[in-house]
Amino acid sequence: MSAAREIIPPPGPTPNGERSAGHLASMAVRGGDFLFVSGLAAVDLQSGERIRGTTASETRHILTNLKQLLEAAGSSLDKVVKVNVLLHSMLEAPNMNEVYARFFPDSPPARTVCGACLPHGVKVIIECTALR
Amino acid sequence: MREVIAAPLPGLDLRQHYGHHQSPAIRAGGLIFCSGMLPVDPETGERRHGTLTSEAHVIFGNLKLLLESAGSSLDRLVQVHALIYDSIEYDVLNRVYRQYVANGPPARTVWTARIEAGFKIQLDVTAAA
Repeated sequence: MSAAREIIPPPGPTPNGERSAGHLASMAVRGGDFLFVSGLAAVDLQSGERIRGTTASETRHILTNLKQLLEAAGSSLDKVVKVNVLLHSMLEAPNMNEVYARFFPDSPPARTVCGACLPHGVKVIIECTALR
Repeated sequence: MREVIAAPLPGLDLRQHYGHHQSPAIRAGGLIFCSGMLPVDPETGERRHGTLTSEAHVIFGNLKLLLESAGSSLDRLVQVHALIYDSIEYDVLNRVYRQYVANGPPARTVWTARIEAGFKIQLDVTAAA
């Protein structure tokens, strides 16, 4: 018996940006009870353009897109169980954290934050696992 | 069904001590997703900087407390992401790691990353509920 695996179509036309590996990764995949979302960078969901900003503003763009993506897939931010945040510098963690808190007002998901080398000058990447 | 696992001891509530906007762990779909585990004193929340080995011992102690309070245990780990500050310590990690995953070790990935507050190791863990 095989369990369900379903590719979730992105809510916008080119959500991963033209220069990214958009064709090599689905934005989200449902497997069993969970929805696995690819690491998201700050992009404009309509144009697919990268949005360059501060750690705080990129975090806001990503979580706004994530909210839209999850809701389009029948899930939501309050069904998120685990978030991984990759930052270009751990000195920026408080700036990310402050914006992040606004999107998860109560019972926030489990989370891991670390500093990593991110491509194309990206300052924040956020990936998550949610209940479908 | 999504359930927040509260900190079993006050020091393990990183939200309270450090403002990290996260729950200690979430139980959902038969799994327990833990927030990134750091070497803090489980009673006081104070940071316990040390060698990678000593930090790992503190982390596994905290992880044991957290998982057992949620009805799971270190024997029920499914996946571990071990973030270390420098890959040169890979063998050091393995020496301490094997003491805690004696039988049927979980899936694991190790990589180098910048960890908050200059810690040498952080464990990102998923366990069976």
